[in-house]
Amino acid sequence: MLGAVLAQLIVVVTAMVFVSVGLFVGRDRCRRTRSEWRHRLRAAAPITIFLAVILLLNSVARQVVPDFSWIGEWRLGVAWNATSMIYDLEGEFIVWLQSQATPWLTAYFSFIYIYGYVFMLVFPVVAYFALSDTHPLRELLTAYALNYALGLLLYTVVIAYGPRNMLPDLVDALLYDTYPRYQHLTRQVNRNTNVFPSLHTSLAATVSFLAYRTRDSYPLWTVVAAILGVSVAISTMYLGIHWAIDVVAGIVFAYVCVELAGVLVGRWSVSDWVAGRLRD
Amino acid sequence: MSDRNAVTAARKPDDGDERGPASGGISRRAALTATVGLTVSTSGCIRQLRSAVNRDDVDPLSLTITTVPADSDRESIRLARAIADALETAGIDVSIEMRASEEFLRSVLINHDFDVYVGRHPGSPDPAFLYEALHSLYADESGWQNPFGFTNLLVDDLLEAQREADGDERRDAVERTLEALAVEQPFVPICRPTEHRLVRNDRFDGWDDGHLAMRTGYLGLESRNGGADDRLRAVHTDPRPSENLNPLAAEYRDRGTITELLYDSLAVDVVDTDGDRSLEPWLADDWVFEDESTLVVDLRSELTFHDGEALTAADVEFTYEFVADTTRGGDPFPAPSPRFRGLAAAIDDVTARDDETLVFTVGTGQDVGERALTVPILPRHVWADRSASASVRGVSVAEGTTEALVTDNVPPIGSGPYQFHDRTEREHVTFERFDDHVTRRDGVELPEPTADELRVQIDPRSTSAIQLIENDDADVTSTPLETYVIDDIEDRDDTRVVESPSWSFYQLGFNARKAPFSNPRFRQVVARLIDKAWLVEDVFHGYAEPIAAPVPDAWTPEHLEYDGEDPELPFLGSNGEVNREAARDEFEAAGFRYDSEGTLRVRH
Repeated sequence: MLGAVLAQLIVVVTAMVFVSVGLFVGRDRCRRTRSEWRHRLRAAAPITIFLAVILLLNSVARQVVPDFSWIGEWRLGVAWNATSMIYDLEGEFIVWLQSQATPWLTAYFSFIYIYGYVFMLVFPVVAYFALSDTHPLRELLTAYALNYALGLLLYTVVIAYGPRNMLPDLVDALLYDTYPRYQHLTRQVNRNTNVFPSLHTSLAATVSFLAYRTRDSYPLWTVVAAILGVSVAISTMYLGIHWAIDVVAGIVFAYVCVELAGVLVGRWSVSDWVAGRLRD
Repeated sequence: MSDRNAVTAARKPDDGDERGPASGGISRRAALTATVGLTVSTSGCIRQLRSAVNRDDVDPLSLTITTVPADSDRESIRLARAIADALETAGIDVSIEMRASEEFLRSVLINHDFDVYVGRHPGSPDPAFLYEALHSLYADESGWQNPFGFTNLLVDDLLEAQREADGDERRDAVERTLEALAVEQPFVPICRPTEHRLVRNDRFDGWDDGHLAMRTGYLGLESRNGGADDRLRAVHTDPRPSENLNPLAAEYRDRGTITELLYDSLAVDVVDTDGDRSLEPWLADDWVFEDESTLVVDLRSELTFHDGEALTAADVEFTYEFVADTTRGGDPFPAPSPRFRGLAAAIDDVTARDDETLVFTVGTGQDVGERALTVPILPRHVWADRSASASVRGVSVAEGTTEALVTDNVPPIGSGPYQFHDRTEREHVTFERFDDHVTRRDGVELPEPTADELRVQIDPRSTSAIQLIENDDADVTSTPLETYVIDDIEDRDDTRVVESPSWSFYQLGFNARKAPFSNPRFRQVVARLIDKAWLVEDVFHGYAEPIAAPVPDAWTPEHLEYDGEDPELPFLGSNGEVNREAARDEFEAAGFRYDSEGTLRVRH
């Protein structure tokens, strides 16, 4: 069952990426990429490897984060069980949001939460690879790595359950009850105490912020990324997965990651360092 | 301040006298008198100040309800929120703390760190469990042994009486115990849900022969396709069996259905789908009471564990001693097992007469003594080494934390009908049939494991579990379905809903170690803020039965049956709405006070 859902995801997202390449990237950039890809690949290689390592660590660490969180909460007092406080702060906003539900909206936001989100993460990698300047690409990959690395830290320190876990009668788990098959997919990725901040929102916002920075190269994508980013943020709340506070925190977190990436990228050059070493 | 007053007062006569030094003596005396008088009155003033200031404020009551999130138990969090609303109406500040299942149980059962909790008590088909659940001797132990810290010597006597009696006498003693508990309310029994499970009926038959919360539900099934594909595929909504298979770990077990399939006991409780219960010989061939308190048990011959080692009377003896103290006397600080402890407590002594015969000295009545035969038998050669204190380098662990209590116990070595094969945490745990199991012998008339393999797939939501059954990816939902999906289950030819009675129940548990929960009057008023019948409709969609006594119907006396309203502590309001005035009056009548803002104030 997981295989079928996964295959469908890959097919749909690949199709979306191909269409978008045609729409936003254009033939010229593709042609130039064909001649320059070696150089660009070399420039982006160090950060790509770094991101891969972070993702690998992340997939392992995710399994043990809840264990560490509960130890931290009980023995060390460094982790914090925050659900009831979040609920006291924001009340029943999510309940109100869900009361606007229609079958069309549910279908739209479910699509956005699964497919739109994955597309949003994959497409900019392709789009920025198609630019002669590798700076945006390196910034994007750095921002992704920071999202995962720092996000993990926040998940360890904050134990929070989403609205569907606190208010199961008021907040429908729209995604999982409307499309139970996705339970198999998202369960592989998410543990239910990992809701603060919303990583869906922060990654989507990261892409949107960077799209704004590269608006001169991809003006149309900037608009699409903004719409998608807002949709992903709303979808996490609409589907009862995140609190509004998680989403706000996700946006702030994304901003921090993007700024940090801006500071870090271009600061050190692995190839210069290697060249220097060789000369010595 | 007193000094300055004295000075001013002493000067006054001086200022008024301008005529000569002669009057100086008088004024000095006056000054002295005034000073003494003032000192006396100031010291009185200070004492009064001390009396007034050194009184603690009677604080507004604010309490935390500990429970589990909806992913673990949707009904628990909904009950917790409904109870929170009712308490808020009565002027109590409430917050809800959600903890993962095993952390919830660790807080409540082991660390006793809670105010009140809402959750599912595993219960028991037999009321004898109330002894360990509420006797004051167990107030300091962990596990389902008196997590409430409830201590009442009169109730202790009643609990002992029901344990020592047999037959009709026992029934009377149970009735008296339940009457006392209905008044004392050490916990509020809320309701007993009816269990619903979805099964496929095109691959196996015999789903109604045993209760699906017990081992016998998964044994004796008949394959419908002639044994071509004999995999039994269960879908479990609780991920814990894929993480831990330790039969003694209270945090990881609810009723322990999965570990029952791995570990055998001398006798097994068999509850059929009508709720009728009987105790059947399992590893024991037979047992007999030689006198009032001497129970002689004959083991079946040539029993083996999954690893091929023989299961002898020595293992049985070891098990009962180990459950009573997992340090095996190696530590001055005994550490009883948090599970099965109450059952085994009925046995004063176990001695192996030979390899296949055991002599139990029973310290209770015979009915309760026999019940002790349901403790799972652990292999001595595996568990004997687990009596050492669990050690984590660089961290000190609590006294009495033996390896046995914290081990994941993977792979588990038991003697049960299924043996461990493989697992992936939070995805599945797979078992193989144990071909040498005693039920598969010729001449043994017990339900046997028929499927070659039992795969327990973990799927956290009822809706996706149902989908797995409907798509022929699973045969049975081994955990009961959440009640909100039951009405939406499609009517199909190849699937069927199996309904079975339950003995586990939902409860609101008080931590009687803390004020004001130590006060039975407080607990009584809280019990009256819970509209059980309304909660059954609203939270359980009618698939539960409101209860006033925490035992199965067969043991509930007529005058403690829930009949439209709670027989002892009726709800203060209607349709789930608490009547604010009535609640307030009751709390005041119980000796508690409200401030001008309508907040309940208590000393705590």
